[in-house]
Amino acid sequence: MDKRSSALSALLTLVAVWCGVAWGQAAPSTPKPILAGPLAKLDIKDAKIESVRGISKGTLNIGLHFGLDPGWFDPLGYYGPALHFYYLVHDALIKPMPQGEFTYSLAEHAELTASFTKAAFRLRPGLKFQDGHALTTADVKWNYENYRGYNAKLFQDKLDRIEIVDDRTIVFHFKEPFVDFLDLYNGANSGIGWIVPRHYYERVGQDGFKARPMGAGPFKFVSQEAGQQASFEAWSEYWRRPPGVKVITVRAIRDLAARMAGLQTGELDVAYGMTGKLLQRVMADPKLRWDPNFTAPWHLMFPGYTEPSSPFHDKRVRQAVSLAINRPFLVKQETQGIGKPWGNWISHENRDALRGDGTELPVPPYDPAKAKQLLAEAGYPNGFDFDWYIPFVPYFDMAERILTDLRAVGLRSKMQMLDAPAYMAQTSKGRKGFPGNRTIVQRIDPRPGGAKALIRLYAVCGGPASYICEPKIEALWAKHEASIDPAERERVAKEIQRVVVEDYYLVPLYLQPFVHAVGPRVLPEGEAVHHYWDTVNAPFPWPWEVWQVKG
Amino acid sequence: MATVLERAPSLGGLSHVARRSYRIVADVPAIPLLILGTLTFVAVFAPVIAPHRKLTPVKPTPAQCQARFSMTDCPYVDNVPPFWMSGGRLDTPLGTDFLGRDVLSRLMYGARISLVVALTGTLFAGAIGTLLGVLAGYMGKWWDQIIMRITDAWLTLPSLVFAILLSSVRGPGVWNVVLILALVFWSRYSRAVRGEVLALRERDFVKLAEINGISTRTIVFRHLLPNVMNTVMVLFSLQLGVAVIIEASLSFLGVGVPPPEPSWGLMMAQERESLMDGKWWLAVFPGIGISMLVLSANMLGDWLRVRLDPQLRNR
Amino acid sequence: MTLWLLVTIIFGLVRLTGDPVAMKAEAGADAAYVARLKQDWGLDQPLPWQYLGFIGNLLRGDFGHSFEKSLPVRDIYFERLPNSLKLGFAAFIISIVLGVPLGMLSALKVNSWWDSTGKVVALFGLSMPGFFVGLVLIIVFGIHLGWLPVLGKGRSAFVGSDPSTWVTFWFRDWSHLVMPAFALGWYFSGAMLRITRSGMLDVLGSDYIKLVRLKGVPERMVVAKHALKNSMIPVLTFAGLNLLIMVNVAVVIEVIFNWPGVGQLLYDGLSNRDFPMVQGVVLMSGLMIVVLNFTIDVLYGYVDPRIRLSR
Repeated sequence: MDKRSSALSALLTLVAVWCGVAWGQAAPSTPKPILAGPLAKLDIKDAKIESVRGISKGTLNIGLHFGLDPGWFDPLGYYGPALHFYYLVHDALIKPMPQGEFTYSLAEHAELTASFTKAAFRLRPGLKFQDGHALTTADVKWNYENYRGYNAKLFQDKLDRIEIVDDRTIVFHFKEPFVDFLDLYNGANSGIGWIVPRHYYERVGQDGFKARPMGAGPFKFVSQEAGQQASFEAWSEYWRRPPGVKVITVRAIRDLAARMAGLQTGELDVAYGMTGKLLQRVMADPKLRWDPNFTAPWHLMFPGYTEPSSPFHDKRVRQAVSLAINRPFLVKQETQGIGKPWGNWISHENRDALRGDGTELPVPPYDPAKAKQLLAEAGYPNGFDFDWYIPFVPYFDMAERILTDLRAVGLRSKMQMLDAPAYMAQTSKGRKGFPGNRTIVQRIDPRPGGAKALIRLYAVCGGPASYICEPKIEALWAKHEASIDPAERERVAKEIQRVVVEDYYLVPLYLQPFVHAVGPRVLPEGEAVHHYWDTVNAPFPWPWEVWQVKG
Repeated sequence: MATVLERAPSLGGLSHVARRSYRIVADVPAIPLLILGTLTFVAVFAPVIAPHRKLTPVKPTPAQCQARFSMTDCPYVDNVPPFWMSGGRLDTPLGTDFLGRDVLSRLMYGARISLVVALTGTLFAGAIGTLLGVLAGYMGKWWDQIIMRITDAWLTLPSLVFAILLSSVRGPGVWNVVLILALVFWSRYSRAVRGEVLALRERDFVKLAEINGISTRTIVFRHLLPNVMNTVMVLFSLQLGVAVIIEASLSFLGVGVPPPEPSWGLMMAQERESLMDGKWWLAVFPGIGISMLVLSANMLGDWLRVRLDPQLRNR
Repeated sequence: MTLWLLVTIIFGLVRLTGDPVAMKAEAGADAAYVARLKQDWGLDQPLPWQYLGFIGNLLRGDFGHSFEKSLPVRDIYFERLPNSLKLGFAAFIISIVLGVPLGMLSALKVNSWWDSTGKVVALFGLSMPGFFVGLVLIIVFGIHLGWLPVLGKGRSAFVGSDPSTWVTFWFRDWSHLVMPAFALGWYFSGAMLRITRSGMLDVLGSDYIKLVRLKGVPERMVVAKHALKNSMIPVLTFAGLNLLIMVNVAVVIEVIFNWPGVGQLLYDGLSNRDFPMVQGVVLMSGLMIVVLNFTIDVLYGYVDPRIRLSR
């Protein structure tokens, strides 16, 4: 009798606890503020947690168009392309998702004081890493302190101290207003918010972690061949949902023809970077589906135009360059008509960016006659020769087309073939990267972080990749940096964009579609597959846990 | 490397041998020479006989623009097929490429670049390698050691390293490719030539020259070099084929001849994907050109090897 | 001695190729990050210091950390080497199977129709660039006919710690191996044919063979037992060198077929200015060539008594 009743009560307690836990997880977070005082208005979307936990099945083969780097498994050393793996193995406090540019993930609640001097997060309950170890604010603190990737020094310098309120609540105290904190802490902009397990990391060391990583993300690492391929397996206990696919394999396939071949034989289910000579074939193949995946607009820059001896010093010459390029034809040739002639150099998916499709900024017209007239007015009735046209590697075909257009109005030059490292090295040296002042550089930069990130990089005097130095813009930028009012910042950022475009300091071309193609095995069938690309400003179709394939 | 019959006169009687060897020796390789001759002619006279320019797109008719882009006027129409296929025009007999440029004209101009690059590169390589090989073989002792050690070390360096190095330091260019070919191939010559010279050094006429006090320079240039020329020429024609292929591979990897200049290797490399897309004429015609060139060079080399065998000649 | 020359040359050469930092740091990376990268990579030190450090590490077997792939070069290299060896061996076998019999036939029926046909077949492989042959194979056998897979090498991996893979690795996933090995092997079969042909011709004309013929040995025995054996020496020498070339420099084939070998490592390393990787790969291939040459010299001495006696 005793045994039976104690067993029954134990069972009832267990049921009660289970219900309580389930209710606690399912219930929305109670809005009890962590910080005192007026709070900044944040626009962070709630995560979409699946209530039905299905079974993962099938294999998804992804063809990446550049080589893999095991360094991508380590958020503490974050740099650009690393994000592809982060969404597989790791998870962040807030990260871009289809719900919005800022979406709660590991965190369920965040606050920033209106003066931007304090930031607080509350983690979801019951979080753990893939090996079962609990994920707590101690890990979040450790990550912040040991981060050494982009902007590490900025994060360290601004930080006053980190206060751990409890296992799920953490407050960051800053020495001065840190307006960009949430932008930078957001998963797309740095690795500092992607939480790495301290106990495991310290045990295996940096190299060990890169060879066999582990995190809190939806997929567990299985194996890799350094630089070539990596395999991942679904982690059924991921807080959001068990992934739809059981196994994901990412392979580095640099050659476009090889990716196409892989798609056609079925060895690849997803392939990136299919814009180019084979786009027509992708579009014509009934078994394949493709998503335009607009990234950012192409634009032309004029290093050294600020010097009076440069032919591009005269605004009319720069305008002539813009008028000379036949964007609709270029778009037909390069992207089978999918690309959109665009009037801004910043992608519309960036916050505070002006749309260049005619609604906010006009689409640049094609008028070679007017271009020649402007050149004549500026003192070049027969056009002129300029030193170099620097193409964006490896879009040499496009550069040839543009050069043909320019040649038609009298602007003659040659293409300087750099390879990727040389191009990156030279364009990151700012003004010093290109000697002389008779050069045109072509560029594209799909980077997250709002329009201001691109302005900071390309439109201000001190910008690391900037060739622009105008007092008007400097004054506006100073106002932007001094302000802590998001509305005013937005206004100023838009003003700067208008100045840049209207004075032709940068000449935008068209919005680039970096086409991704999927094979027949990817579910859902038909055009509904496009919802995988819903995440704003994302170079890849994140997140991965929602993908599904046929048996 | 003589044929069996020349080396074994005991087989089959002398007249039989004489007749067979006459036929072999006088057997001019007509086809390779014809092909090489035609290619050289085309290369030299390309600006005159090419129907269009090599860099400028062919102006299309309004009908073409309408058919391809649904526009009444367009700067060029890309990927026009050869004239015997539908959509092709006699004006551009082998079609146009992705920028609307005439394939036949680019092939002709491309013959120039491919031939010049291959020839110059192999020539430089031959010159350097022969000279070093003669020095190593004749001077012996530490000359030999140093040169051979460098040759060995050099042989292990992949040509790709040089290619990327040169293109990143100087910017890619046609002369880069020539330099690379020269740098990569000289070691093949020096090995072979050194072997020849080692044998030659012991011959009577050389020893006589030495006894008579003739200067080393004269011996090298008057006596040794002419006698190693045969080996060098054979090597040269064989290496010519390899040079063409290497230029194509380097262009494929992006460190060879830069666009928009047409070289056959670059044309093939740029239009690989078009091959997949069904536009075979863009990659196949340069491919045929390369194959013809390499095959002819190889056959010529083989014939030369038989013809110029020292054992044959010095009988 | 040769090795040391090679080491120094490659050290200097890679540093001339340019700046690797921008590849990882990208525009907009803060100065502190760039400085840290340089420090991690040892590039902030003066050149002679870097050189000494490099040599010192080399003597301990440490090639450094790859800039692009973030792991020790040695680990990555030896993980990939079996793949290259597998491809090299397969291509080698194909080149012998194609080249040697045709070469023998050419030598026996000199200047006949067989001779010319054999030469053209083998030389055709030599006269087309690898990337073209590879693509045609992919299109025909991979896409249209669907007989063979077009990407990579399949699942099999040579795992040092798992002896069960030591043997099976060479035979599993052979369908992935066929096309790249053929594309590579066909190219070299031309050279094989030539060497076999001239070797056989040399031997067939030699006094030794004349003697054997005079003794009345039937022609077929002459060919099979004596001519073939002795003509194999130059074939094998050349073959050894070819094998090394195939293993080390089959970059184009590896890129097209996405075969994860050391050629691709070299290409990636050069494309991304990955100094330690390039240094490591070139040194390893140099080492292999030196060892091979040495072995061949020794074997030569063993096999050919004339050489042995003349020393």
